[in-house]
Amino acid sequence: MHQWTFVIAAYAVTLLGTAAVSLISWRAMHRAEAQAETLANRP
Amino acid sequence: MPYWPCRARAAKDAALMHRFANPARFLKIARPLTGWLFWSGLVLLLAGCTCGLFVTPADYLQGQTVRILYIHVPAAWLGMAGWTGIAVSALMQLVWRHPLAAVAGRAIAAPGALFTAICLATGSIWGRPTWGTWWEWDGRMTSMLVLLFLYLGYIALANASARQGAGQGGVSNVTAIFGLVGAINIPIINRSVVWWNSLHQGPSITLRGSSIDMALLWPLGLTLLGFSLWFGAIVLMRMRAILAQNKVEARMQRLARG
Amino acid sequence: MKAKHQRLILALVALAALIGAGLLAASALKDEAAYFYAPGDVKAKGVEPGKAIRLGGMVVKGSLKRAADGVTMFFDVTDGKATVPATFSGIAPDLFKEGSGVVAEGSFDAKGTFIATNLLAKHDERYMPRELEGMSYNETTRQLQVDQ
Repeated sequence: MHQWTFVIAAYAVTLLGTAAVSLISWRAMHRAEAQAETLANRP
Repeated sequence: MPYWPCRARAAKDAALMHRFANPARFLKIARPLTGWLFWSGLVLLLAGCTCGLFVTPADYLQGQTVRILYIHVPAAWLGMAGWTGIAVSALMQLVWRHPLAAVAGRAIAAPGALFTAICLATGSIWGRPTWGTWWEWDGRMTSMLVLLFLYLGYIALANASARQGAGQGGVSNVTAIFGLVGAINIPIINRSVVWWNSLHQGPSITLRGSSIDMALLWPLGLTLLGFSLWFGAIVLMRMRAILAQNKVEARMQRLARG
Repeated sequence: MKAKHQRLILALVALAALIGAGLLAASALKDEAAYFYAPGDVKAKGVEPGKAIRLGGMVVKGSLKRAADGVTMFFDVTDGKATVPATFSGIAPDLFKEGSGVVAEGSFDAKGTFIATNLLAKHDERYMPRELEGMSYNETTRQLQVDQ
């Protein structure tokens, strides 16, 4: 069980990091593209 | 002087490269590709992690802690591959003035830094139960820490130069040169366990074979491919964000001028 | 010559010079950047008693003995070229065992015994299931094989 603590900690760090970067990158892309779209459609 | 060996071929290569230099053409491919890379990468990496956690047997020496291998190795590979990508984009930016190269360099930096940090963190967590230490200043660990600092410096330089409007949302030439110079650390990281006595063991997987038994090795292929595809998706997302911001800024400037 | 080609050549020359300089510096650091001394290095160069160093190598099979107090242990460290006796009092890491790698922090006493103040276990690049324990990795065939 002691060994599993280290394994779980390592996987948790990795999955949290990848999830955070996924979310930040997707939101930045979504926001910028939506803004570009509204500006382009403005007469 | 005909120093260029094959002019026609070079012209063709340049034409091919510049076809993708056009942001509109790039986006036409990047838009559908982002989702495909992201979801296939996620499925593969989660499958690899699950198999690595619950399916493969424990190691004869380390026991369960060997399972950290399946995330530590992809993280190390992508941290180093990321900087190689930055160096290649920097070369394309400096030599061919490729407009997308500067954007790509800036987009790679964040996920590259993330994986370098994950590699250091998982390595530290792995080191405690196996070696008996969280951190030692041996060649491999020190050179990997230097890579993290290089990423942080690159990100700071890239953000500062993008704010000053250099290279349309991309990075300045100084930042690109920094990216190129930093590439010297990549072969040093790779060779650190061979050149110097180190606490970190030598390479398990070489061109000649693998010293990881097949029963333990196979999930590593899944996580390596999965994390790499996911990395590609993040780079595309960040490039699309920068290109859209450029469009917005250009539009605003035109509106301001009336 | 086109400006683009000039830039390409300039960049490649700069890159080559840079990589050359980096590799030269790294190889010059070869000895200084070593994380530990192997017993062979100690024998070849000599390390003065009392100087704090790290000693790394394999724990010789059959050399590990524990004193009556239960915390002090004696073992020999080898790198194939030389063997050095060492002693340590305290809790060793789980992976510290005979026939396996060790990095010991400490110093030599006047008689040439290494007095370790801390032990780290160093493992090699082999990973395999428990059923295969006893197999070893053959450097020339690049295959796992049963030990003779």
